[in-house]
Amino acid sequence: MDKLEELIYNSFDVVVFKKDTNGKFIIHSRPTDWLLFFLNHNSEGTYRLTQYFPYLGCFIDEAERHWKSGKIEALTSGPWVEADEKGHELALEASAIKIDGEDILLLQNLGEKYRQEVQRLQSLREGLLSQEKLENEIAKRTRHVQQQKEQIAIKLVSLTSYRDEETEAHVKRIGLYAAAMAKALGWDEQRIDDIRIAATMHDIGKIGIPDKILLKKGKLTDEEFEIMKQHTEIGANLLGDSNIPVLNMASTIALCHHERWDGQGYPHGLREKEIPVTARIVCIVDKYDALIHERVYKKAFSEDVVTKLMKEMSGRSLDPELLELFFELLPIMQRICSEVTDKVTDNRNQDPYELLEEIRLSDIA
Amino acid sequence: MIQKKICLLGSFAVGKTSLIQQHINSLFSDKYLTTVGVKIDKAVFEIDGKQLSLMIWDIAGEDDFTNIRPAYLRGLDGYIIVIDGSRNSTVHKALSIHQKVVESCGEIPVVFAINKADIKHEWEVTEEQFSQLKRTDYPVFETSAKSGQSVDSIFSNLGGQLLQHHG
Ligand SMILES: Nc1nc2c(ncn2[C@@H]2O[C@H](COP(=O)(O)OP(=O)(O)O)[C@@H](O)[C@H]2O)c(=O)[nH]1
Ligand SMILES: [Mg+2]
Repeated sequence: MDKLEELIYNSFDVVVFKKDTNGKFIIHSRPTDWLLFFLNHNSEGTYRLTQYFPYLGCFIDEAERHWKSGKIEALTSGPWVEADEKGHELALEASAIKIDGEDILLLQNLGEKYRQEVQRLQSLREGLLSQEKLENEIAKRTRHVQQQKEQIAIKLVSLTSYRDEETEAHVKRIGLYAAAMAKALGWDEQRIDDIRIAATMHDIGKIGIPDKILLKKGKLTDEEFEIMKQHTEIGANLLGDSNIPVLNMASTIALCHHERWDGQGYPHGLREKEIPVTARIVCIVDKYDALIHERVYKKAFSEDVVTKLMKEMSGRSLDPELLELFFELLPIMQRICSEVTDKVTDNRNQDPYELLEEIRLSDIA
Repeated sequence: MIQKKICLLGSFAVGKTSLIQQHINSLFSDKYLTTVGVKIDKAVFEIDGKQLSLMIWDIAGEDDFTNIRPAYLRGLDGYIIVIDGSRNSTVHKALSIHQKVVESCGEIPVVFAINKADIKHEWEVTEEQFSQLKRTDYPVFETSAKSGQSVDSIFSNLGGQLLQHHG
């Protein structure tokens, strides 16, 4: 080995091996102190290196493929760390390279280069960590603001339906059922949030219906019914004409939530998919909530009866496909129904929005 | 003596190195020194009268700058997936890494560790994610490399599985 060669190896703190037969390596440069330590001061000159460095056991296969491939550039193993005589950490790296038809393996003590790499990655990762923290904090606050907005909306909505018997909890449930459907349909987060609020406002137009009709016990006359029907358009007008997406959606729902799949609904007699999907969803969940609860004009029906009644509406007033989905989600709907009630003590513990978290697409076969 | 190779896997800074240090040397440091590359430690267990020597591979966590080299996984007998309870993103990462390992190594013994249980008030992992993990039927432990909680359990549980696997 000439002087220059030796100086180069020295300054890079590298040892050179030539591949021998049967997985052994012949040392080709002067062994360094650290190498001798790891080789247990064995100075035979030919070594089964994977026995001394378990890490190489993984690299050698890749190296073999590399030597066979005939590529000229070196393949590096990535650094690994060994503890030296004094327990200090030593970072090593292996490189496989083909020179003059020979399979060459270099072992390098990375030294300072490694410490610099650690420093660099350390600060990059610390940066990532604090960025992640900030993003989480922002997401948390946004969620908080969103929930406050929702609570205000729900309070206002339940105020407008104060005259009939609809309650704050009913309004909340309608929003949650609808959001559950939207989630199962794979909508994006924003649209799910929107329908959760927009659905609650479907009956807001009832504010414009006189007491004597809205609160009338017994059957409405044809004339009265015509007036009652106007709550859809009144609601749509109240909510329309903004450039706020959630209000636009609410306006559409208010207008179309009495349309029927078979085209026999009002105000426009739209049919099937002419009816906006948001309204078709609200139609289903509003029916469900009305049937399952007690009303002045009816007692509460059992789950079985409700399911049966709703099945009869499939393809008539309700969208059959969406209704199918609704039935698949029934366990979730039942939980919303039983956990979101007007009894304050009942819904103090669980955040009803967490119920939505439990809907997974995988649950819907 | 039976020899096995295991790996700790997960996002960066979830506490992989700390768990190994706590298990082997009963030490914990608050000072974060990131792992670059691979470090291999050895631990010897006795389970049901059988001696088991574990080669524990500590490798850099996955992040924007490093990926797990498939070669690291060669000859892997089992692994511990570590999640940082205070960082939601590490759950997703854990599941995707798990997926990757199953694809390249098949179903081999695994233990999930939700780490940093000493700061549970700062946990972001939701009950829902938690129960989703538990439903997978893999053993899940809440650990703390700081207090030592369940640290030895994750290794001995995995060790037990390895011996069973070994027949
Ligand atoms: N509070 C707390 N901090 C921990 C725990 N485990 C690790 N850490 C800290 O988290 C950071 C990353 O730990 P490290 O073991 O280097 O993570 P690795 O990148 O997964 O190997 C360090 O600052 C540790 O001190 C734990 O159980 N509790
Ligand atoms: Mg580490």
